[in-house]
Amino acid sequence: MKHYIHAILFCFAAAGLTSCSEEENPQFDKDTFTKIYDNNKFNSSNFAIDMRQTPDGGFLILGGRIIPDDSIYTGIYLMKVDEFGNFVREIEVDGTSVNPVASLATFQTKYYFVCTDRSSLQAQVASVDANLEAVTITPVQGGLSYPAAASFIDNNFVVVGYNNVDRLTTMSIVSPEGGVLAYKGFMIEPGDAVEQPIMDHFVRTGRKFPFAVGKAPNGMYYFNGFYNYTFSLVFTDMVADDPNGVVQGSLNDGGFSAITPISGNKFAAARFNFGDNYLMPNREIPTSGISSSSKLGGYSLPEMVANAKVRIVRATVDQKNILIYGTDTKSKQIGLLYYNESTGEFINSRYLGFSNPFEIVSMTQTEDEGLAVCGMTQVAGRFGRITVFKISKEQLQQDVAALMP
Amino acid sequence: MKKTTLLACCLLIAFTVFSQEKKRKASTYNKKKQEKGDVKFLEKQWWLGVKAGANWSKVNVMDRYSVISPTNYELTSISKKYDNFGLAGSQASLEVSFYFKGFLLSFQPTYQHTRFSYTTHYEWTSSEEENDRVELDYYQEQKIDYAVFPLIIKYDIAGNKVRPYVQAGIYSAMRLNATKALSTSGVDYAAGGENEFKTETIDVGVDDLFAKYHWGLLGGVGVNYNFKNHVRLNLDVMYKLGMSNITSTENRYGSDRLAGVGDAMDDMKLDNLSVSLGCLFPLRFLQSSLQTLDR
Repeated sequence: MKHYIHAILFCFAAAGLTSCSEEENPQFDKDTFTKIYDNNKFNSSNFAIDMRQTPDGGFLILGGRIIPDDSIYTGIYLMKVDEFGNFVREIEVDGTSVNPVASLATFQTKYYFVCTDRSSLQAQVASVDANLEAVTITPVQGGLSYPAAASFIDNNFVVVGYNNVDRLTTMSIVSPEGGVLAYKGFMIEPGDAVEQPIMDHFVRTGRKFPFAVGKAPNGMYYFNGFYNYTFSLVFTDMVADDPNGVVQGSLNDGGFSAITPISGNKFAAARFNFGDNYLMPNREIPTSGISSSSKLGGYSLPEMVANAKVRIVRATVDQKNILIYGTDTKSKQIGLLYYNESTGEFINSRYLGFSNPFEIVSMTQTEDEGLAVCGMTQVAGRFGRITVFKISKEQLQQDVAALMP
Repeated sequence: MKKTTLLACCLLIAFTVFSQEKKRKASTYNKKKQEKGDVKFLEKQWWLGVKAGANWSKVNVMDRYSVISPTNYELTSISKKYDNFGLAGSQASLEVSFYFKGFLLSFQPTYQHTRFSYTTHYEWTSSEEENDRVELDYYQEQKIDYAVFPLIIKYDIAGNKVRPYVQAGIYSAMRLNATKALSTSGVDYAAGGENEFKTETIDVGVDDLFAKYHWGLLGGVGVNYNFKNHVRLNLDVMYKLGMSNITSTENRYGSDRLAGVGDAMDDMKLDNLSVSLGCLFPLRFLQSSLQTLDR
């Protein structure tokens, strides 16, 4: 009898030992991943512009590509990845359409973005399905040239562009079918001095300016672009010929690097000023009259590269409204800074990337309440490749729980 | 299912071993009472010992993962190449065994330092210009310390002074510490010649990349040499067959340092071959002669 007890004890001990293994769940590989999309062609060079999540949990990435024999403009590159971040397929749109701009918008079942006709340099609206089966390009009717940024608002595109004939920053409301519903032009300056940096921006030989466009909660449209000699944040009702409000920068050396409306006149914003960077979560910004961005203050972050790119996402984490600022750091990482949306108080930070240099391109909160960050890296220190970081809901909760228990 | 089958096997082995006494009772029936008592006493023995040695590991990949997601070539071309049984680790064990009629039930808590390595190779080429080519190699060495808890049944095959045995059992391992050493090398042919480059090795703490616990089966052979003072010299060869994933799937991309250079751990089971040398001391003696079972 005693020996049977020994046998049973042995069996229980064995069963206990086998129970010691870690939980495996395929969901873990969806919740969190890091992916670098590599092409083994020496001269291949794609870059990301924007990213959107697709209904299947994957992502659609809008990018640019070098067109052989075209040293001026960049072509259109689209990539689909699955919910694990694995590459699914890519499309290199033919070189007759160039210079795609953010943002990549979703409307009904398709994804839309604005690009430029290579020969006429007029704006086009491009659409593609979530599986990258086909790309449709529609010219914008009405002569809208050099689109610099677009946002999809109230089922139409709001596009900021550059009129190189009259030296105007243009703002247009464009339907997904390419019809211009409203148009306004805002004077930059009659001379040539400002045009060179703008053209350098378009052909990617110089500094990339943070052109942006959107609509404030008070119904006013805004663009971040050149106006009256300076890089400014301009508010317009799209009725009056003159701007309703202007927050001036300092020629090319100061202005807003990102802006996201919160409520009323409150915005989450970031600005640059002669290389320095300032983050302004939850800041009241005048939408009328003339003011100066340099007087808006903000948190100065020396860790950011000069005139850093900044992306802002309003996110809900654990039922808390937060602002996530994504930016490029001097240590060649992507820095994520979390702020309390209602108070502007700093919560926490997270840094993505190491070893190879990383730069931010786009951020989006995912359906599973995580965060996807699209960026660029230099594989082997020399090959520019698109990268995607997926941060899980739980990781975000941990980050935010630091100061928002 | 796998665990149920294993449990059934354990039950079968255990009942076979522990029912030996009943079968042998008839053979000792005619011996004198005292002799019978001594022999009965000597049929059981506790052994306590220590042993240490070297081990070599082999990786069995379950699913492959990579941070690099190729857009124009096959993922298999950049798969990790494991150097199985290539690096020696070390281990030290405490052994507590209970002998009963040829069988030993043994518990051997072990500190095991495990090492294995893999390489990944990347290449960028041009169809237009032969010299537009860069090769890049990553070498990664894993060093993982485990506390291993094996439960083993041994059977003495034959002999008296020299006693060979076979063994089988089950183990659970708890990860104590894990580090990776990463070094990068390559050749840049586009620089105008063969520009070889190499970076300094970086060591990264990667505890979270490995599962806290895993388990497996084990089997092996060994031999005991009995000295006159009844102390045993033990040579033990053991093969551990990993049965569960040693990678933490939750933290696969948890190291920015490694993800940054394209590394993500595969799902894998770890086999381990160990050779140990040690000594065992008997804990039960006949009062008159300090006689153990080894006569």
